[in-house]
Amino acid sequence: MQRLIAFNRWLGWLTLGLLAAALWLVFDAPMDYQQGNSVRILYIHVPSAKMALFVYLALTVFSVWFLWKKSETADILTEAAAPVGAAFAMVTLASGSLWGKPMWGTWWAWDARLTSMLVLLILYVGIIALRNGIDDPIKGARATAVLCILGAVDLPIIHFSVVWWRTLHQPPSFSKASASPAISGPLLPPLIWMSIAFTFLGAYLIILKTREIRARRTLDTIEAERTFTHA
Amino acid sequence: MLRAIYRLAWKDVMGDFRHRSTFSSMLFFSLAVLLVFQAAFEPDHQEAQRLVPGLLWSTVLFTTIMGLGRVFQSEEENGAFEGLLLAPLPRGALFFGKWLGNLVLSLLVMGMLVPLTLILFNVNIWSHVPMLMFLLFLGTMGLTALGVLLAAMTQTARSRETLLALLLLPLVAPLLIAGVQAMAEVIANGNLNGPWLNLLLIFDAIYLALAPWGFGWLVEE
Repeated sequence: MQRLIAFNRWLGWLTLGLLAAALWLVFDAPMDYQQGNSVRILYIHVPSAKMALFVYLALTVFSVWFLWKKSETADILTEAAAPVGAAFAMVTLASGSLWGKPMWGTWWAWDARLTSMLVLLILYVGIIALRNGIDDPIKGARATAVLCILGAVDLPIIHFSVVWWRTLHQPPSFSKASASPAISGPLLPPLIWMSIAFTFLGAYLIILKTREIRARRTLDTIEAERTFTHA
Repeated sequence: MLRAIYRLAWKDVMGDFRHRSTFSSMLFFSLAVLLVFQAAFEPDHQEAQRLVPGLLWSTVLFTTIMGLGRVFQSEEENGAFEGLLLAPLPRGALFFGKWLGNLVLSLLVMGMLVPLTLILFNVNIWSHVPMLMFLLFLGTMGLTALGVLLAAMTQTARSRETLLALLLLPLVAPLLIAGVQAMAEVIANGNLNGPWLNLLLIFDAIYLALAPWGFGWLVEE
Protein backbone atom coordinates (compact mmCIF):
# COMPACT_ATOMS: atom_id res chain seq x y z
CA MET A 1 0.00 0.00 0.00
CA GLN A 2 2.78 2.44 0.94
CA ARG A 3 4.59 1.55 -2.27
CA LEU A 4 1.44 2.22 -4.30
CA ILE A 5 1.00 5.62 -2.66
CA ALA A 6 4.61 6.54 -3.37
CA PHE A 7 4.30 5.27 -6.94
CA ASN A 8 1.14 7.21 -7.53
CA ARG A 9 2.63 10.42 -6.16
CA TRP A 10 5.52 9.98 -8.56
CA LEU A 11 3.07 9.22 -11.37
CA GLY A 12 1.17 12.39 -10.53
CA TRP A 13 4.24 14.58 -10.88
CA LEU A 14 5.18 12.85 -14.10
CA THR A 15 1.67 13.46 -15.46
CA LEU A 16 1.85 17.09 -14.48
CA GLY A 17 5.18 17.46 -16.25
CA LEU A 18 3.94 15.74 -19.36
CA LEU A 19 0.79 17.85 -19.44
CA ALA A 20 2.82 21.05 -19.09
CA ALA A 21 5.22 19.98 -21.84
CA ALA A 22 2.39 18.95 -24.15
CA LEU A 23 0.56 22.20 -23.46
CA TRP A 24 3.68 24.14 -24.34
CA LEU A 25 3.87 22.22 -27.63
CA VAL A 26 0.20 22.94 -28.26
CA PHE A 27 0.70 26.68 -28.04
CA ASP A 28 3.98 26.47 -29.90
CA ALA A 29 2.38 24.66 -32.87
CA PRO A 30 1.35 26.81 -35.84
CA MET A 31 -2.26 27.75 -36.44
CA ASP A 32 -4.30 25.69 -38.84
CA TYR A 33 -4.72 27.63 -42.09
CA GLN A 34 -8.49 27.08 -42.06
CA GLN A 35 -9.33 26.62 -38.40
CA GLY A 36 -7.01 29.26 -36.98
CA ASN A 37 -6.48 29.09 -33.24
CA SER A 38 -9.59 26.96 -32.67
CA VAL A 39 -7.60 23.94 -33.79
CA ARG A 40 -5.90 23.99 -30.40
CA ILE A 41 -9.14 22.82 -28.77
CA LEU A 42 -8.68 19.54 -30.61
CA TYR A 43 -5.49 18.82 -28.69
CA ILE A 44 -7.72 18.35 -25.66
CA HIS A 45 -10.70 16.94 -27.53
CA VAL A 46 -9.03 14.08 -29.42
CA PRO A 47 -6.96 12.66 -26.51
CA SER A 48 -9.91 12.76 -24.13
CA ALA A 49 -12.13 11.02 -26.70
CA LYS A 50 -9.49 8.31 -27.01
CA MET A 51 -9.29 8.01 -23.25
CA ALA A 52 -13.08 7.83 -22.88
CA LEU A 53 -13.04 4.78 -25.12
CA PHE A 54 -9.84 3.33 -23.70
CA VAL A 55 -11.12 3.53 -20.12
CA TYR A 56 -14.20 1.61 -21.22
CA LEU A 57 -11.95 -1.06 -22.67
CA ALA A 58 -10.13 -1.24 -19.33
CA LEU A 59 -13.48 -1.41 -17.54
CA THR A 60 -14.45 -4.40 -19.65
CA VAL A 61 -11.16 -6.15 -18.89
CA PHE A 62 -11.60 -5.50 -15.15
CA SER A 63 -15.16 -6.84 -15.32
CA VAL A 64 -14.18 -10.05 -17.07
CA TRP A 65 -11.33 -10.43 -14.59
CA PHE A 66 -13.75 -9.97 -11.71
CA LEU A 67 -16.31 -12.51 -12.95
CA TRP A 68 -13.56 -14.97 -13.77
CA LYS A 69 -11.35 -14.75 -10.67
CA LYS A 70 -13.73 -13.13 -8.18
CA SER A 71 -10.90 -10.78 -7.28
CA GLU A 72 -11.74 -7.80 -5.10
CA THR A 73 -9.01 -5.75 -6.76
CA ALA A 74 -10.80 -6.10 -10.08
CA ASP A 75 -14.04 -4.94 -8.48
CA ILE A 76 -12.36 -1.91 -6.94
CA LEU A 77 -10.72 -1.06 -10.25
CA THR A 78 -14.09 -1.30 -12.01
CA GLU A 79 -15.62 1.04 -9.49
CA ALA A 80 -12.65 3.41 -9.78
CA ALA A 81 -12.49 3.49 -13.58
CA ALA A 82 -16.14 4.36 -14.25
CA PRO A 83 -16.11 7.97 -12.95
CA VAL A 84 -12.77 8.62 -14.65
CA GLY A 85 -14.21 7.44 -17.96
CA ALA A 86 -17.30 9.56 -17.39
CA ALA A 87 -15.09 12.61 -16.80
CA PHE A 88 -13.19 12.04 -20.05
CA ALA A 89 -16.44 11.56 -21.98
CA MET A 90 -17.76 14.80 -20.52
CA VAL A 91 -14.58 16.71 -21.43
CA THR A 92 -14.84 15.27 -24.95
CA LEU A 93 -18.41 16.49 -25.38
CA ALA A 94 -17.74 19.89 -23.85
CA SER A 95 -14.56 20.58 -25.84
CA GLY A 96 -16.18 19.27 -29.02
CA SER A 97 -19.08 21.61 -28.46
CA LEU A 98 -16.75 24.58 -28.02
CA TRP A 99 -14.96 23.66 -31.21
CA GLY A 100 -18.16 22.91 -33.11
CA LYS A 101 -19.68 26.36 -32.62
CA PRO A 102 -17.05 28.26 -34.66
CA MET A 103 -16.26 25.39 -37.06
CA TRP A 104 -19.61 23.77 -37.87
CA GLY A 105 -21.69 26.73 -36.78
CA THR A 106 -23.52 24.67 -34.18
CA TRP A 107 -22.89 23.48 -30.63
CA TRP A 108 -24.32 20.09 -31.32
CA ALA A 109 -25.32 17.88 -34.23
CA TRP A 110 -26.88 14.44 -34.04
CA ASP A 111 -23.94 13.02 -35.89
CA ALA A 112 -22.77 9.43 -35.49
CA ARG A 113 -19.78 9.97 -33.25
CA LEU A 114 -21.38 12.68 -31.15
CA THR A 115 -24.35 10.44 -30.51
CA SER A 116 -22.14 7.46 -29.63
CA MET A 117 -20.12 9.58 -27.21
CA LEU A 118 -23.29 10.84 -25.54
CA VAL A 119 -24.54 7.26 -25.17
CA LEU A 120 -21.16 6.30 -23.72
CA LEU A 121 -21.44 9.09 -21.15
CA ILE A 122 -24.95 7.97 -20.14
CA LEU A 123 -23.71 4.41 -19.90
CA TYR A 124 -20.86 5.47 -17.60
CA VAL A 125 -23.32 7.35 -15.42
CA GLY A 126 -25.58 4.29 -15.37
CA ILE A 127 -22.68 2.09 -14.26
CA ILE A 128 -21.82 4.50 -11.44
CA ALA A 129 -25.46 4.73 -10.38
CA LEU A 130 -25.88 0.96 -10.37
CA ARG A 131 -22.69 0.45 -8.34
CA ASN A 132 -23.85 2.99 -5.76
CA GLY A 133 -27.44 1.77 -5.76
CA ILE A 134 -26.87 -1.78 -4.54
CA ASP A 135 -25.97 -2.21 -0.90
CA ASP A 136 -24.95 -5.87 -0.98
CA PRO A 137 -21.27 -5.64 -2.02
CA ILE A 138 -21.10 -8.96 -3.86
CA LYS A 139 -24.37 -8.50 -5.71
CA GLY A 140 -23.43 -4.94 -6.59
CA ALA A 141 -20.03 -5.96 -7.92
CA ARG A 142 -21.52 -8.74 -10.00
CA ALA A 143 -24.31 -6.59 -11.44
CA THR A 144 -21.81 -3.88 -12.38
CA ALA A 145 -19.49 -6.36 -14.07
CA VAL A 146 -22.33 -7.85 -16.12
CA LEU A 147 -23.51 -4.36 -17.08
CA CYS A 148 -20.00 -3.34 -18.21
CA ILE A 149 -19.72 -6.41 -20.44
CA LEU A 150 -23.22 -5.81 -21.77
CA GLY A 151 -22.18 -2.27 -22.64
CA ALA A 152 -19.02 -3.50 -24.32
CA VAL A 153 -21.15 -5.67 -26.61
CA ASP A 154 -23.70 -2.94 -27.15
CA LEU A 155 -21.35 -0.02 -27.87
CA PRO A 156 -20.20 -1.32 -31.29
CA ILE A 157 -23.83 -1.95 -32.26
CA ILE A 158 -24.74 1.55 -31.15
CA HIS A 159 -21.82 2.94 -33.08
CA PHE A 160 -22.64 1.17 -36.33
CA SER A 161 -26.33 1.90 -36.10
CA VAL A 162 -25.73 5.61 -35.66
CA VAL A 163 -23.10 5.60 -38.40
CA TRP A 164 -25.71 4.24 -40.80
CA TRP A 165 -28.19 6.65 -39.36
CA ARG A 166 -26.24 9.86 -39.94
CA THR A 167 -22.74 11.10 -40.52
CA LEU A 168 -21.31 14.59 -40.59
CA HIS A 169 -18.13 14.28 -38.54
CA GLN A 170 -14.84 14.37 -40.42
CA PRO A 171 -12.93 11.09 -40.66
CA PRO A 172 -10.34 10.48 -37.93
CA SER A 173 -7.25 12.65 -38.26
CA PHE A 174 -4.58 10.14 -37.36
CA SER A 175 -3.91 6.49 -36.57
CA LYS A 176 -6.00 5.33 -39.54
CA ALA A 177 -4.36 2.31 -41.14
CA SER A 178 -3.10 4.53 -43.95
CA ALA A 179 0.54 5.60 -43.81
CA SER A 180 -0.06 9.32 -44.26
CA PRO A 181 -2.14 10.90 -41.54
CA ALA A 182 -4.73 13.45 -42.60
CA ILE A 183 -3.16 15.99 -40.27
CA SER A 184 -0.27 18.17 -41.36
CA GLY A 185 3.19 17.45 -39.94
CA PRO A 186 3.81 20.25 -37.44
CA LEU A 187 0.40 19.78 -35.84
CA LEU A 188 1.06 16.13 -35.03
CA PRO A 189 3.66 16.13 -32.18
CA PRO A 190 1.53 18.07 -29.69
CA LEU A 191 -1.34 15.70 -30.36
CA ILE A 192 0.83 12.65 -29.71
CA TRP A 193 2.32 14.16 -26.54
CA MET A 194 -1.07 15.21 -25.32
CA SER A 195 -2.37 11.67 -25.90
CA ILE A 196 0.51 10.24 -23.86
CA ALA A 197 -0.07 12.79 -21.09
CA PHE A 198 -3.79 11.97 -21.01
CA THR A 199 -3.06 8.25 -20.76
CA PHE A 200 -0.89 8.91 -17.70
CA LEU A 201 -3.57 11.21 -16.30
CA GLY A 202 -6.14 8.44 -16.64
CA ALA A 203 -3.91 5.92 -14.88
CA TYR A 204 -3.12 8.42 -12.11
CA LEU A 205 -6.78 9.25 -11.50
CA ILE A 206 -7.83 5.60 -11.46
CA ILE A 207 -5.15 4.69 -8.91
CA LEU A 208 -6.11 7.69 -6.80
CA LYS A 209 -9.75 6.64 -6.89
CA THR A 210 -8.75 3.06 -6.06
CA ARG A 211 -7.08 4.23 -2.88
CA GLU A 212 -10.16 6.22 -1.90
CA ILE A 213 -12.46 3.23 -2.46
CA ARG A 214 -10.16 0.90 -0.53
CA ALA A 215 -10.06 3.33 2.38
CA ARG A 216 -13.83 3.72 2.34
CA ARG A 217 -14.39 -0.03 2.35
CA THR A 218 -12.00 -0.52 5.24
CA LEU A 219 -13.82 2.21 7.11
CA ASP A 220 -17.18 0.56 6.41
CA THR A 221 -15.90 -2.73 7.76
CA ILE A 222 -14.62 -1.10 10.93
CA GLU A 223 -17.88 0.78 11.34
CA ALA A 224 -19.89 -2.43 10.90
CA GLU A 225 -17.76 -4.26 13.46
CA ARG A 226 -18.10 -1.41 15.96
CA THR A 227 -21.91 -1.32 15.69
CA PHE A 228 -21.91 -5.07 16.05
CA THR A 229 -19.90 -5.11 19.28
CA HIS A 230 -21.85 -2.20 20.78
CA ALA A 231 -25.23 -3.70 20.01
CA MET B 1 -37.33 -27.83 -20.04
CA LEU B 2 -39.54 -26.17 -22.64
CA ARG B 3 -42.42 -27.24 -20.51
CA ALA B 4 -40.88 -25.55 -17.48
CA ILE B 5 -40.33 -22.35 -19.42
CA TYR B 6 -43.91 -22.41 -20.57
CA ARG B 7 -45.17 -23.11 -17.03
CA LEU B 8 -43.18 -20.22 -15.60
CA ALA B 9 -44.46 -17.84 -18.27
CA TRP B 10 -48.03 -19.10 -17.83
CA LYS B 11 -47.81 -18.52 -14.07
CA ASP B 12 -46.76 -14.91 -14.62
CA VAL B 13 -49.35 -14.15 -17.27
CA MET B 14 -52.20 -15.81 -15.37
CA GLY B 15 -51.14 -14.28 -12.08
CA ASP B 16 -51.11 -10.93 -13.75
CA PHE B 17 -54.61 -11.28 -15.12
CA ARG B 18 -55.94 -12.51 -11.77
CA HIS B 19 -54.65 -9.86 -9.42
CA ARG B 20 -51.57 -7.85 -10.26
CA SER B 21 -52.94 -6.36 -13.47
CA THR B 22 -49.71 -5.05 -14.94
CA PHE B 23 -51.43 -5.56 -18.27
CA SER B 24 -54.19 -3.04 -17.72
CA SER B 25 -51.81 -0.49 -16.16
CA MET B 26 -49.52 -0.86 -19.18
CA LEU B 27 -52.40 -0.44 -21.60
CA PHE B 28 -53.75 2.68 -19.96
CA PHE B 29 -50.27 4.06 -19.43
CA SER B 30 -49.65 3.73 -23.17
CA LEU B 31 -52.88 5.62 -23.82
CA ALA B 32 -51.68 8.33 -21.46
CA VAL B 33 -48.37 8.52 -23.36
CA LEU B 34 -50.27 8.94 -26.63
CA LEU B 35 -52.27 11.72 -25.01
CA VAL B 36 -49.03 13.41 -23.96
CA PHE B 37 -47.66 13.20 -27.50
CA GLN B 38 -50.85 14.62 -28.94
CA ALA B 39 -50.76 17.50 -26.49
CA ALA B 40 -47.06 18.10 -27.05
CA PHE B 41 -46.97 17.99 -30.87
CA GLU B 42 -50.55 18.53 -32.06
CA PRO B 43 -49.71 16.91 -35.40
CA ASP B 44 -51.94 17.56 -38.40
CA HIS B 45 -52.82 14.73 -40.73
CA GLN B 46 -49.57 14.86 -42.76
CA GLU B 47 -47.31 15.19 -39.74
CA ALA B 48 -49.13 12.40 -37.95
CA GLN B 49 -48.31 9.96 -40.70
CA ARG B 50 -44.64 10.93 -40.52
CA LEU B 51 -44.63 10.74 -36.71
CA VAL B 52 -46.32 7.34 -36.39
CA PRO B 53 -43.10 5.23 -36.24
CA GLY B 54 -41.58 7.44 -33.57
CA LEU B 55 -44.83 7.63 -31.62
CA LEU B 56 -45.32 3.88 -31.65
CA TRP B 57 -41.75 3.05 -30.68
CA SER B 58 -41.45 5.60 -27.89
CA THR B 59 -44.80 4.55 -26.46
CA VAL B 60 -43.73 0.91 -26.63
CA LEU B 61 -40.44 1.76 -24.94
CA PHE B 62 -42.01 3.67 -22.05
CA THR B 63 -44.76 1.12 -21.59
CA THR B 64 -42.28 -1.75 -21.58
CA ILE B 65 -40.14 -0.03 -18.95
CA MET B 66 -43.21 0.22 -16.79
CA GLY B 67 -43.98 -3.48 -17.20
CA LEU B 68 -40.36 -4.45 -16.57
CA GLY B 69 -40.38 -2.73 -13.21
CA ARG B 70 -42.77 -5.43 -12.05
CA VAL B 71 -41.19 -8.53 -13.55
CA PHE B 72 -39.60 -9.67 -10.32
CA GLN B 73 -41.90 -7.82 -7.97
CA SER B 74 -44.10 -10.69 -6.83
CA GLU B 75 -41.09 -12.93 -6.26
CA GLU B 76 -39.34 -10.18 -4.35
CA GLU B 77 -42.33 -9.39 -2.13
CA ASN B 78 -43.06 -12.94 -1.13
CA GLY B 79 -39.50 -14.19 -0.98
CA ALA B 80 -40.34 -16.63 -3.72
CA PHE B 81 -37.26 -15.92 -5.76
CA GLU B 82 -35.16 -18.32 -3.71
CA GLY B 83 -37.80 -20.93 -4.40
CA LEU B 84 -37.45 -20.37 -8.11
CA LEU B 85 -33.68 -20.62 -7.84
CA LEU B 86 -34.02 -23.92 -6.00
CA ALA B 87 -36.05 -25.43 -8.83
CA PRO B 88 -34.04 -28.08 -10.67
CA LEU B 89 -33.70 -25.93 -13.77
CA PRO B 90 -30.81 -24.30 -15.56
CA ARG B 91 -30.64 -20.54 -14.93
CA GLY B 92 -31.14 -19.97 -18.64
CA ALA B 93 -34.51 -21.71 -18.54
CA LEU B 94 -35.50 -19.52 -15.60
CA PHE B 95 -34.59 -16.46 -17.61
CA PHE B 96 -36.52 -17.59 -20.66
CA GLY B 97 -39.57 -18.30 -18.54
CA LYS B 98 -39.59 -14.81 -17.04
CA TRP B 99 -38.85 -13.34 -20.45
CA LEU B 100 -41.67 -15.19 -22.17
CA GLY B 101 -44.18 -14.08 -19.56
CA ASN B 102 -43.16 -10.47 -19.96
CA LEU B 103 -43.08 -10.78 -23.75
CA VAL B 104 -46.65 -12.12 -23.87
CA LEU B 105 -47.96 -9.27 -21.74
CA SER B 106 -46.09 -6.66 -23.80
CA LEU B 107 -47.30 -8.15 -27.07
CA LEU B 108 -50.90 -8.13 -25.86
CA VAL B 109 -50.55 -4.44 -25.08
CA MET B 110 -48.95 -3.78 -28.46
CA GLY B 111 -51.69 -5.62 -30.30
CA MET B 112 -54.11 -3.05 -28.95
CA LEU B 113 -51.74 -0.11 -29.12
CA VAL B 114 -51.26 -0.16 -32.91
CA PRO B 115 -54.94 0.18 -33.86
CA LEU B 116 -55.50 2.66 -31.04
CA THR B 117 -52.68 4.87 -32.30
CA LEU B 118 -53.99 4.81 -35.85
CA ILE B 119 -57.47 5.71 -34.63
CA LEU B 120 -56.43 8.41 -32.18
CA PHE B 121 -54.02 10.10 -34.59
CA ASN B 122 -56.40 9.55 -37.48
CA VAL B 123 -53.83 7.98 -39.79
CA ASN B 124 -55.08 5.79 -42.57
CA ILE B 125 -52.38 3.15 -43.04
CA TRP B 126 -54.48 0.15 -42.09
CA SER B 127 -53.10 -1.96 -44.93
CA HIS B 128 -49.65 -1.83 -43.29
CA VAL B 129 -50.84 -2.93 -39.88
CA PRO B 130 -49.61 -6.57 -40.12
CA MET B 131 -46.13 -5.36 -41.09
CA LEU B 132 -46.09 -2.76 -38.31
CA MET B 133 -47.13 -5.45 -35.84
CA PHE B 134 -44.43 -7.76 -37.12
CA LEU B 135 -41.75 -5.08 -36.63
CA LEU B 136 -43.01 -4.32 -33.14
CA PHE B 137 -42.96 -8.04 -32.39
CA LEU B 138 -39.32 -8.31 -33.48
CA GLY B 139 -38.36 -5.20 -31.54
CA THR B 140 -40.16 -6.31 -28.40
CA MET B 141 -38.31 -9.63 -28.37
CA GLY B 142 -34.93 -7.92 -28.06
CA LEU B 143 -36.28 -5.13 -25.88
CA THR B 144 -37.77 -7.48 -23.29
CA ALA B 145 -34.72 -9.80 -23.37
CA LEU B 146 -32.47 -6.88 -22.46
CA GLY B 147 -35.13 -5.48 -20.16
CA VAL B 148 -35.67 -8.61 -18.07
CA LEU B 149 -31.92 -8.91 -17.63
CA LEU B 150 -31.69 -5.31 -16.46
CA ALA B 151 -34.70 -5.83 -14.21
CA ALA B 152 -32.86 -8.73 -12.56
CA MET B 153 -29.79 -6.51 -12.30
CA THR B 154 -31.57 -3.64 -10.58
CA GLN B 155 -33.85 -5.86 -8.54
CA THR B 156 -32.13 -5.25 -5.21
CA ALA B 157 -31.06 -1.68 -5.93
CA ARG B 158 -32.40 1.45 -4.35
CA SER B 159 -34.75 3.43 -6.64
CA ARG B 160 -34.65 0.54 -9.07
CA GLU B 161 -37.26 1.83 -11.53
CA THR B 162 -35.26 4.99 -12.23
CA LEU B 163 -32.11 2.92 -12.55
CA LEU B 164 -33.81 0.50 -14.92
CA ALA B 165 -34.83 3.33 -17.24
CA LEU B 166 -31.40 4.96 -17.05
CA LEU B 167 -29.69 1.71 -18.05
CA LEU B 168 -32.20 0.52 -20.61
CA LEU B 169 -32.58 3.67 -22.70
CA PRO B 170 -28.96 4.07 -23.91
CA LEU B 171 -28.44 0.35 -24.47
CA VAL B 172 -31.61 0.05 -26.49
CA ALA B 173 -30.78 3.01 -28.77
CA PRO B 174 -29.81 0.82 -31.78
CA LEU B 175 -33.09 -1.06 -31.55
CA LEU B 176 -35.02 2.18 -31.45
CA ILE B 177 -33.18 3.63 -34.45
CA ALA B 178 -33.56 0.42 -36.47
CA GLY B 179 -37.21 0.02 -35.53
CA VAL B 180 -38.17 3.58 -36.39
CA GLN B 181 -36.29 3.51 -39.71
CA ALA B 182 -37.73 0.13 -40.72
CA MET B 183 -41.22 1.29 -39.87
CA ALA B 184 -40.81 4.55 -41.77
CA GLU B 185 -39.70 2.48 -44.76
CA VAL B 186 -42.82 0.32 -44.49
CA ILE B 187 -45.11 3.33 -44.29
CA ALA B 188 -43.38 5.13 -47.16
CA ASN B 189 -42.83 2.26 -49.60
CA GLY B 190 -44.66 -0.70 -48.14
CA ASN B 191 -41.66 -3.02 -48.22
CA LEU B 192 -40.29 -4.86 -45.27
CA ASN B 193 -36.68 -5.70 -46.03
CA GLY B 194 -33.52 -3.67 -45.90
CA PRO B 195 -30.62 -3.08 -43.53
CA TRP B 196 -32.76 -1.85 -40.65
CA LEU B 197 -34.72 -5.09 -40.47
CA ASN B 198 -31.41 -6.96 -40.38
CA LEU B 199 -30.20 -4.75 -37.54
CA LEU B 200 -33.36 -5.58 -35.59
CA LEU B 201 -32.71 -9.29 -36.11
CA ILE B 202 -29.06 -8.95 -35.11
CA PHE B 203 -30.04 -7.09 -31.95
CA ASP B 204 -32.57 -9.79 -31.06
CA ALA B 205 -30.09 -12.58 -31.67
CA ILE B 206 -27.36 -10.93 -29.59
CA TYR B 207 -29.59 -10.21 -26.63
CA LEU B 208 -31.38 -13.53 -26.64
CA ALA B 209 -27.96 -15.20 -26.53
CA LEU B 210 -26.35 -12.81 -24.05
CA ALA B 211 -29.17 -12.23 -21.57
CA PRO B 212 -29.49 -15.80 -20.19
CA TRP B 213 -25.74 -15.85 -19.68
CA GLY B 214 -25.77 -12.53 -17.82
CA PHE B 215 -28.78 -13.66 -15.80
CA GLY B 216 -26.85 -16.74 -14.68
CA TRP B 217 -24.13 -14.50 -13.25
CA LEU B 218 -26.58 -12.19 -11.53
CA VAL B 219 -28.55 -14.77 -9.59
CA GLU B 220 -25.63 -16.99 -8.62
CA GLU B 221 -25.43 -17.37 -4.86
